[in-house]
Amino acid sequence: MTARSYDGVALCCPVTEPYVRRSEHGAAWFLARALRRLLDASNLAKPDIDGLCVSSFTLHPDTAVAFTQYVGMSPRVLEWLPMGGACGVIALRRAARAVQAGDAEIVACIAGDTANETSFRDLLASFSSFARDAVYPYGAGGPNASFALIADVYMRATGATREDFGTLAVAQRANAQRNRLALLRGELTLEKYLAARPIAEPHHLFDCVMPCAGADGFLVMPEARARALKLPFLRVLGAIERHNAFPDDPVQLRGGWAMDRDALWAQAGIGPSDVQLVETYDDYPVISMLQFEGLGLCPPGEAPGFVRRHEFTIEGSLPHNTGGGQLSMGQAGASGGYLGLVEAMRQLLGKAEGRQVVSARHALVSGFGMINYDRGLCTSAAVLGRS
Amino acid sequence: MIRLQRCADCGAAQYPPREVCAACLSDRLAWESATSLPARVLARTRLHHSNEPRFRPRLPLTVGLVQFDAGPVAVCFLAETAAPGDAVQVRIGADDLLEAA
Repeated sequence: MTARSYDGVALCCPVTEPYVRRSEHGAAWFLARALRRLLDASNLAKPDIDGLCVSSFTLHPDTAVAFTQYVGMSPRVLEWLPMGGACGVIALRRAARAVQAGDAEIVACIAGDTANETSFRDLLASFSSFARDAVYPYGAGGPNASFALIADVYMRATGATREDFGTLAVAQRANAQRNRLALLRGELTLEKYLAARPIAEPHHLFDCVMPCAGADGFLVMPEARARALKLPFLRVLGAIERHNAFPDDPVQLRGGWAMDRDALWAQAGIGPSDVQLVETYDDYPVISMLQFEGLGLCPPGEAPGFVRRHEFTIEGSLPHNTGGGQLSMGQAGASGGYLGLVEAMRQLLGKAEGRQVVSARHALVSGFGMINYDRGLCTSAAVLGRS
Repeated sequence: MIRLQRCADCGAAQYPPREVCAACLSDRLAWESATSLPARVLARTRLHHSNEPRFRPRLPLTVGLVQFDAGPVAVCFLAETAAPGDAVQVRIGADDLLEAA
C-alpha cells in the first residue's frame, strides 16, 4: 500500500537550545527552553500549541505526560517518541499526520537532554534489558564497542579504511568551524584523525561523539496557518521509518532504509541526485556510510568508493552534515535525532548563516537509533523541499 | 554450563533469553545446556575505554560478536588469538559471562 502524501503540511521554525558539555539543569529545562524558543520564533502563545511530540533519555522517570504538567500545557495530541537517533523524522511524521487529520493544528516537536558526570554511564547501564544483561557486562564499552564490532565487519566486507571514515569526520569538522553552535571547532586534519588514541578498535577518538546537553525543536502546522502567521516553511516530500529491519542478518551491514528507500523516493517524486545536501545520523562515520548505501546514494557495499569520489564540505560535491554533525556539534542525547533535521531546515530556509549551501532546494535527512542489543533498531528518513 | 533457549513448538534457538519465542511467540521454551557451544567469530574489537570503573584495570579487553552454530548471535569476551572467521567454543567464564576461545 502506498502512503498518502504530506501535502498541505508546513514545517517551520527550527530552533536549538545551544549545546553545552555539562549542565546542572534537568532535561525538562532543556525541553522547556526549546519550547520557549518555538513560541518566540513563531509569535504563538503556549495555548496555541495543541500537539506535542517529545523525545528525551534523561527526562526519565518522566515522559511526555509529566512534561505537560511541568510546563502547564493541555495538548490534544501527545506523542512520546523514545526512538533516539530516529526520533526527529518520526516526530515529523506523527505531527504531519495529526495535522492532516485535524487532530491537532499546531504541533511542537522537541527533543532534549541534560548531561552530567554520571548521566551517560547511568543511561548505558540500563539502556535496555538486552543491553543490561547481554552487552554491558562485556567490558561496558557502550555504543563505541557495539558499533566497533559492526565497523570491523563492514571494513572487511567492503574494503572501507580508516581514511574513509576520516574523510567524513574531517569534512564535518570543517563545516563545524562555520557553525557557532558546534562544540568542537578545533582544526581536524586527516593526520590528526589517524593519530588519535584508540577507543574500541577500529574506532578511535574522532569516530566517537561527545555526549553533551542541549535541545532542538520545530513546528508542524497547516500551510495556510503558516502563511497566515507569515512563517517561512518547508514541505515534506516523503518520509519513512522502520523498526527492527532484517532481524536475521547476523551483523548489521544494512539498516531499515534499504526496505523503504524506493517508497521514499517514489513519494518524494525526485531521486538521490536531486538533493543538494544530505544530513545523516553520524554517531560513527561507518553508520553514515550505511545510510549512503541504504538510501540509494550508492549501491550496497560501495560507500567507500562513494566517499573517495566526493567532497562533503559546504562547497563540496555533496554537502553532508553541514553543521558539523554530532561528531563536531556534540550528541545531546535524543537531540541527536533532531540535529540533522533542524540543520536541513535551516539550510533550505536560507538561515544557515556562514555555512549556507548555495541554491539548496531539496535535502535528505536520515535518522538511526536505539542499539537495543547488537544493532540499531530504528531507522527513518525524510526528503524536504522549499515551499 | 552455558544455556541456550530453544522453542519446543517451532525449534528456533534464541539469545538473549526471552519469555516467548521471537519466531512464533510460543512460551514453550526449553533450555539446552552444555559445557561449551560451538560458534564462529563474526567480529572483534579491542576496548581501550570502559564506562565501568571495575573494568578499567583490565583494559585493553578483547570483545567479540559470535554466532552459535545453533543460530543466535552473542556478545562475549574473546581470547586474544580468536579472529573473525574462526571456529570457537563458547563457555561461561570466571565472571559468569560468555567467553570464546
